[in-house]
Amino acid sequence: MNTSLTNAIASAARISILALAAVLAWPLLAQDKAPAGIPRTPEGKPNFTGTYEWPKSDGEQCHCSATIFDRKNFAALKPGGEPFLEPRTGDPRHDEPRDFCLPAGFPSGMLSANAMQFFQSKNDLVMVHEFQRMTRVIPLDGRKHREDIEPTFYGDPVGHWDGDTLVIETTNFKRWGLDDYFYTNPKEYRMHSDALKTTERMKYKDAKTLSYNLTIDDPKTFVGPWSQEFTIHAKPEWDKDGLIEYVCEENNRCAGGHCGGNSK
Amino acid sequence: MKKLLLLPLLLAGLVTGIQAHHSFAAEFDSSKPIKVSGTVTKVEWQNPHIWFYVDVKNDDGTVTNWAFSGGAPGQLMRRGVPRSSIQPGMMVIVEGFKAKDGSNNANGSKVTFEDGRSVFTAGNEDEAGKKKQ
Repeated sequence: MNTSLTNAIASAARISILALAAVLAWPLLAQDKAPAGIPRTPEGKPNFTGTYEWPKSDGEQCHCSATIFDRKNFAALKPGGEPFLEPRTGDPRHDEPRDFCLPAGFPSGMLSANAMQFFQSKNDLVMVHEFQRMTRVIPLDGRKHREDIEPTFYGDPVGHWDGDTLVIETTNFKRWGLDDYFYTNPKEYRMHSDALKTTERMKYKDAKTLSYNLTIDDPKTFVGPWSQEFTIHAKPEWDKDGLIEYVCEENNRCAGGHCGGNSK
Repeated sequence: MKKLLLLPLLLAGLVTGIQAHHSFAAEFDSSKPIKVSGTVTKVEWQNPHIWFYVDVKNDDGTVTNWAFSGGAPGQLMRRGVPRSSIQPGMMVIVEGFKAKDGSNNANGSKVTFEDGRSVFTAGNEDEAGKKKQ
């Protein structure tokens, strides 16, 4: 085979490989670019301001209609790690703290089956959930996590942009229920540890639908991080009513551990 | 007309689902269904759950006041069940499940009015909960 033919074949092969690489890489390159026609802020960022349903998943269904994590997505439990499944004890303060108006926390509260409203400015995204009027203020100004503060139910979130994807990282949780598995199993429920770090990746799929990917990184519980994909649907028809007040203490008839209007 | 529109909305609400903040399994007994008819005496359309109270005449002539728990007002609103749906003085049939502790409290899942209309006032987690048990 002469040299010029060899070079020609090599060039053709290189071009083919480059073309193949470009085709394979295109979805990766394009994935952080939101579709045309979505609302944007004056700074050009996707604008998530609006009214929404809670995040929904095609995965495992809770017997409560709230969204729960699909166990198929879980990483392996860490040998010798903190207990993931918490046995019910019969003490309602332990088994169902929400009966005492304690917070669902994040991510459980985010997945509860209630309306949500988001407000976005240049420097903040505020997520308000009707359930327990959960409010998360997520700084978008590049600040770091706060340090040396008490662990909390909802953690300490900070956000940044990855192209058209909003990335929210949250740390500083206290050990608390992971999700509404409360309702699925009468004998036990699922906990995250105080080492939990969550990463949310939210972006527009189309003008009325958000992709919402949630990563659970809990090194005291799992051998590695794991993720689940959710969809959030915009509900502009709910704008006219907006969120209504939710004061759990107003008429909480479960405070004694037994729900009852006739036992108050 | 508004009332005629209510039922499909309620049925749609069952499909989309709502969530209460306490567990059916923890509070109510799926093996103890209850169906009573009586007069609504009081309505608490408040968070975290609505409660409504019904005077029920017993066979011996005495009256028992039953308390029924439902969903959260915001959830019910988006299912097409407004605050005015249930009012004191209304004659109703209520179907649900009794409390585990034997008290006169229950989960009220379906309310039927004199004109035959029905509204679903409980979360479907309660429906699912009773099936699960």
